Amino acid sequence: MTRRVAIVGIAQTRLETEKPDQILDEVIFEAASKALADAGIGREEVDSITIAAADQIDGRPISSMLEACPAGAYLKDEIKTTEEGSYAAILASLRIMSGVFDSALVVSWSKCSEVPVTRVSNYGAEPFFHRPFGLNYITTTGFMVNAYRAKYGLPEMAAAKVVVKNRGNALNNPLACYQTPVSTEEVLSSRIVAWPVRAMDMAPLCDGACALVLASEERARGMVQPPVWIQGMGWATETYYLGERDLSRLTSLEVAARRAYAMAGVTNPLRELDVAEIHDIADYHELMAYEALGLCPWGQAARLMEEGVTEMGGRLPVNPSGGALSGSPFFATGLVRLAEAALQVRGDAGRRQVKGAKRALAHGSYGFCGQGNSVFILGE
Amino acid sequence: MPRNVAIVGTGQTKYTTARNEETYEELIHQAARIALEDAELTLKDIDAVVISQAPEALFGIDHPERWVVGAAGAIGKPVMRVHTGGATGGSAAQAGFFHVASGLFDTVLVVGAEKQGDTPDAQLVLNRIMEPRYELPFGLNAISMTSFQAVRHMHKYGTTQEQLALVAVRSRRNALNNPYAHIRANHTVADVMKSRMLCWPLKLLDCPPRSSGSCAIVMASEERAKGMGKPVAWVRGVGATSTTYYMGDKLSGLPFNEHGDWDELALAAQHAYKQAGITKPGDEIHVAEIYAPFTICEVAAKEALGFCEKGQACPLEEKGWWDIDGHLPTNPSGGALASNPIAVTGLARVAEAALQVMGKAGQRQVDGAGTAVATAIGGTLQFHTVMVVSNRL
Repeated sequence: MTRRVAIVGIAQTRLETEKPDQILDEVIFEAASKALADAGIGREEVDSITIAAADQIDGRPISSMLEACPAGAYLKDEIKTTEEGSYAAILASLRIMSGVFDSALVVSWSKCSEVPVTRVSNYGAEPFFHRPFGLNYITTTGFMVNAYRAKYGLPEMAAAKVVVKNRGNALNNPLACYQTPVSTEEVLSSRIVAWPVRAMDMAPLCDGACALVLASEERARGMVQPPVWIQGMGWATETYYLGERDLSRLTSLEVAARRAYAMAGVTNPLRELDVAEIHDIADYHELMAYEALGLCPWGQAARLMEEGVTEMGGRLPVNPSGGALSGSPFFATGLVRLAEAALQVRGDAGRRQVKGAKRALAHGSYGFCGQGNSVFILGE
Repeated sequence: MPRNVAIVGTGQTKYTTARNEETYEELIHQAARIALEDAELTLKDIDAVVISQAPEALFGIDHPERWVVGAAGAIGKPVMRVHTGGATGGSAAQAGFFHVASGLFDTVLVVGAEKQGDTPDAQLVLNRIMEPRYELPFGLNAISMTSFQAVRHMHKYGTTQEQLALVAVRSRRNALNNPYAHIRANHTVADVMKSRMLCWPLKLLDCPPRSSGSCAIVMASEERAKGMGKPVAWVRGVGATSTTYYMGDKLSGLPFNEHGDWDELALAAQHAYKQAGITKPGDEIHVAEIYAPFTICEVAAKEALGFCEKGQACPLEEKGWWDIDGHLPTNPSGGALASNPIAVTGLARVAEAALQVMGKAGQRQVDGAGTAVATAIGGTLQFHTVMVVSNRL
């Protein structure tokens, strides 16, 4: 019998194209201290810190040396993972489930305005054969989209509608980076960055940090916020080598979802979930995630979108926050999805609240063509 | 109560300056395979994988853990990399422990590799870890920042350079018994004293080599471990502490801000000892694998771990207290002064501690080693991890 873990504190900084008035330490400190305030506890009452960060995105080796303390780690038991933001919540949950810790502050961040993210992501390519070809997170998205379109013939318009949906939802999210609506014409006339992917198909990068407070069941009882329970979590990674993969499917997301659903007892996600926050690195990525998450059969994502199922007011609203397409603090984006899903379950999502949301899904993703993925199921 | 977890297999490959014949993937694969063979398990038995990987700037690939998913046998599995600088290996072993202790997984592989031999100048990279606005321009790096610790310890406790040299002599002599060790030598105190001064008072032989190599451990739940019918190393306690980054803060002399004392390591140790039920570490721990890349680090660590009074580690060294046949043998493997593959130095400490309590340490075996402690440090000597392992629950 594993120990139950709850989210009892939620905070994000405002996402912005740049934050020239704050150094990274201050952005991190803002999120971490707001999460503690939301949970109604002081730093001394948290017994572990788990952070997710990437050296290259932060611009120095072992960036946690500088950033662990702003994240609350001074004289605390702190550990760092480097997959992406939501993995800090995974590791923190494991630490609490083990019984060694009762609470955790979970923090992730990115200040993309100060980093050539596209070039940095090229440094993640295997150096002998792949790097010289210019692989990066945008060009590999092109591969993925081509593989999907070759198989299922997805029209560009279907993807553009995802951008319109998410940017429309962001009008209700005061923390979103881009709070202006866009039209499909604008998306379809934006320049091509990796054929057939256009600039506006990709999530625009921004600055921001996100932090959560997690607690064991005993610790969560009696805290100021109603606990949002982590009912299920799963994560999985595909092979790095793109040539060995079926790029038309987010295979590791399918595996991660299956694990999370099994843990949470979800058998029909479309019926049993009330809202989902999906890591939409690109609009196409959101559509492909629908399929891997089992919301529709393979190749049917565009139809799900057309039927309005994932719109606000649909059967399963996806990204009421506006998603990453309304601003992505690159490395922290998965944790932002988790924070937004938790706000929905807590009923604290303001104007973007999905009425009566009791059960939410959050998705995090990293690597070329969605190499690794995490899925959380949250509930009341 | 946490679920009981055991280390059921270890794998190391030869640590040496450069492993030019193998790629990073191959190093990972080798250690993983050896650890699985040692555990008498196959990849099918592994539920999740933790990758132990320190700063990628040391060999120039961003997120190398993503590249080696296949080599680690982890395709389609839950994979997570842990990176806490030098402490990475200690943190990765703890992450592996938490995977199993959580109840979600029964068998977890923790694996990492270091290919520092590909780096033209590690100290240049390790200068870039420093605080960029005020401290980096001073030319701080791993050697100079640790020399401050030595200066503080000498100032507070009268420690001498010759006493520090004894740590290097013992470590590399112990390494003669470790077939994986990088520097295996019968140095004398005179050899250390006349080696080139790098940053006073640390001389070349007070410092670790730059090593490449790989290491892996397999961890399993109590149920699985007991079913294996062979000696295993039970994880009895884990602890970690992070402290301030700024070198200036470490020289204040205030509690937890005294570079010579490492009170923050003591905090991590207390957490681990409490779980393990250890009250007299100097007597109840039979062998220690301490991540001490520099001689002074081992001295400060032993005092912080409660093995002796403050300022007594060096006088006890002179009496052979820490020798392989002494009261509390430290680093029978030779430790980081013999081999320092940064990404896995901490993991190798855990593997060596596990080998000792399993009775599988070969020529470097400490007689009667029932309980062992493994540590790691990282950052500006600011991240500390402690793990206690034992041959019984």
